[in-house]
Amino acid sequence: MVALLVRLKLTLLKNSLKRSLWRTVGLIIALLYALGIVVVVLAAMVGLRYTSLALTADITVIAYAGLTLGWLLMSMLVFGVDETIDPAKFALLPVRASELLPGLLLAGLVSAPGAATVLVAAGLVIAWARTVPLTLAALVAVPLGVVTCFLLSRAATAACASFLSSRRFRDLAFVAVALVGVAMAIVGNLINAIVSTEVAKLRSSLGDLAIVAGWSPFGWAWAIPADVSRGAWAAAGVHLVLAVGLVGLLWMTWEHFLALGLVSPMDGGGTASKVRDSSSIERLYPATPAGGIAGRALRYWRRDPRYVAGIAGFLIGPIVLIVTQMINPQGNAAIAVFAPSLLGLLVGFSIAQDLSYDGSALWLHISAGISGAEDRVGRVMSTMTIYLPLTVILLVVAMITTGAWHLLVPAVGLAFALMLSALGVGSFVGTLWQWPAAPPGASPFSQGKAGGLPSLLSLTVTMLGTLSLTLPTIALVIWSFSTPWVGYLTVPVGLVCGFIVLRIGMTQGGRILDRRWPEAMLAVSEKAA
Amino acid sequence: MFGLVGPNGAGKTTTLSMATGLLRPDAGTARVLDHDVWADPAGAKALMGVLPDGLRLFDRLSGGELLHYVGLLRRVPLAEIATRSAELLDALALADDRDTLVVEYSAGMTKKIGLACALIHAPRLLILDEPFEAVDPVSGEVIRSILRNYAHAGGTVVMSSHVMELVESLCDELAVVAQGRVLAAGTLDEVRAGSSLQQRFLDLVGFTASGEESLAWLRSSSGSS
Repeated sequence: MVALLVRLKLTLLKNSLKRSLWRTVGLIIALLYALGIVVVVLAAMVGLRYTSLALTADITVIAYAGLTLGWLLMSMLVFGVDETIDPAKFALLPVRASELLPGLLLAGLVSAPGAATVLVAAGLVIAWARTVPLTLAALVAVPLGVVTCFLLSRAATAACASFLSSRRFRDLAFVAVALVGVAMAIVGNLINAIVSTEVAKLRSSLGDLAIVAGWSPFGWAWAIPADVSRGAWAAAGVHLVLAVGLVGLLWMTWEHFLALGLVSPMDGGGTASKVRDSSSIERLYPATPAGGIAGRALRYWRRDPRYVAGIAGFLIGPIVLIVTQMINPQGNAAIAVFAPSLLGLLVGFSIAQDLSYDGSALWLHISAGISGAEDRVGRVMSTMTIYLPLTVILLVVAMITTGAWHLLVPAVGLAFALMLSALGVGSFVGTLWQWPAAPPGASPFSQGKAGGLPSLLSLTVTMLGTLSLTLPTIALVIWSFSTPWVGYLTVPVGLVCGFIVLRIGMTQGGRILDRRWPEAMLAVSEKAA
Repeated sequence: MFGLVGPNGAGKTTTLSMATGLLRPDAGTARVLDHDVWADPAGAKALMGVLPDGLRLFDRLSGGELLHYVGLLRRVPLAEIATRSAELLDALALADDRDTLVVEYSAGMTKKIGLACALIHAPRLLILDEPFEAVDPVSGEVIRSILRNYAHAGGTVVMSSHVMELVESLCDELAVVAQGRVLAAGTLDEVRAGSSLQQRFLDLVGFTASGEESLAWLRSSSGSS
């Protein structure tokens, strides 16, 4: 079964590469990136051999615990889980979850991040191969640590995905964002504190951080060789027991959710729920095609987990910045005050990926013969309906918590200039690239089947385009730091520039769409490999 | 009423996609009531009602919301949308599920709501890809009578199917396609040429019965477990 699943993964990978040049390019970029990280880490580990045992212990524990935490955060928030082998596909076959697990584990490591993690983890052996007991301890720690990384991401996303397909997903997504925001704020402050102290203190902070990291679940496995190097055999034993226990616990968690997935592979289930009457949404927008699209999109913002996850993801940045400044008394108020502008910057991507999110349902727009401009206007209207109030709320919160009212005008100017430009740029860029996105029923953690490169391209171009088209306003904001009255110019300049970009983005994007409807249709509905 | 029949992979869906503006043809034209689909898409599309096969709907909307949405996209006046969608949902026995999300509909119900979406703007031409697939016999009869009345009232229906009996009982004209080519086209009687449509179809497509010995292992399993 193990060999079978690994072979299946390789076959699927090979076939998907054969089908699309984009994916081949994407995989090569991912591999190069991973290779770069591996080389840097391995070089660092070789370098550590020439330092003291204590320093090696502290640095390896912190770095590798960070790696484990990274697997959790990255898979939860950024990359999702590689679902090349979808466990739900096995639902019809006579296999048990426990038979599938070892194979899925190994098959999961057959990927750019998986391979990179194994190689990076092997660096621990390089750093510690000084005496026989240390080498042995590292050899025990590496497989435990790697398996922990992988199981942690799988178990966490599996657990959360099953929550998310339930009705409570919205609350959970926001709770998760809040928790992550707070955690990141604390880590940020810790780093801040470490950097701001002197070198002597830095060394002791490093030791403190290593102790925290080593005794957190992320560092249990990695701390074993560090304990051995100190001769702390009891601590090493405790770490070993904890690490093995954690792997066992994660294994059982994953198996539990996998077994659930095998008997209930389809989302929704039998209960056909009714939706509440929401005709108020229809009165919000004009009774035109564009108004219809806006109303439909607004309903999707509420009902489609992908959109909800999107809002949550976009809110992380500004919330973290505001919270960090809130709990850090020496913080820079300007950072918190301008944090809501970040939301404006990100909104562009939301619009740019809207067509892809529609998937093959896009045929309805095409066969109804609506113009590209109407499509653009409708999507901009609904996105504004969501993000305009959110930006205002964030601005108010930032103002109240910092009390930096003198920055209110430029902050408002920048936030709205960015949001309007981002909507315009997103409307335009969204017509250039589309990709088949995971359908709304799928776990928001699963990777877009072929999203990779076109979505990355779309994101980059949208961001850069938005930033460069907002330059006049950004320049005024910076100038206003030295000459405060300039701040009042940011609002009119930002609004005028923003509306111009928005208008051009919508009309030009619509024009492109009028020419490319069939191509867009083909791009979003490319059958998943 | 025109039927497009052919085996799996014959190019029925591809043909209909190109005729409705969803897939750009490399060559050739598609004309709908004197509007070229690819030169004057807006004019041609306004006359067509389309039910594609295998494409998603905006399934996070309820049936009622979806009809309302299509009505808005098709520029149907608000009052008309309300009365027409109520009548359509009634006729297709979906009235009880108007507030259920389309994603929770069964396959047959999804076909029916798709048909309602194709009808709501009272098109002159209906293009239906496998309209009877997964539809229960009662609803199937309802759809048949809707389509017959529509054709009697001057509308045109182009539908694809691989159920010969259905095409035989419904369509006035048909074309048999296989591997992207039209093998026969004309009125029902012309294509049948004396034999049954089923037999004629098998002759045209080139059917060879598989021998007795194929899949022999399947029979032995009936004896065991």
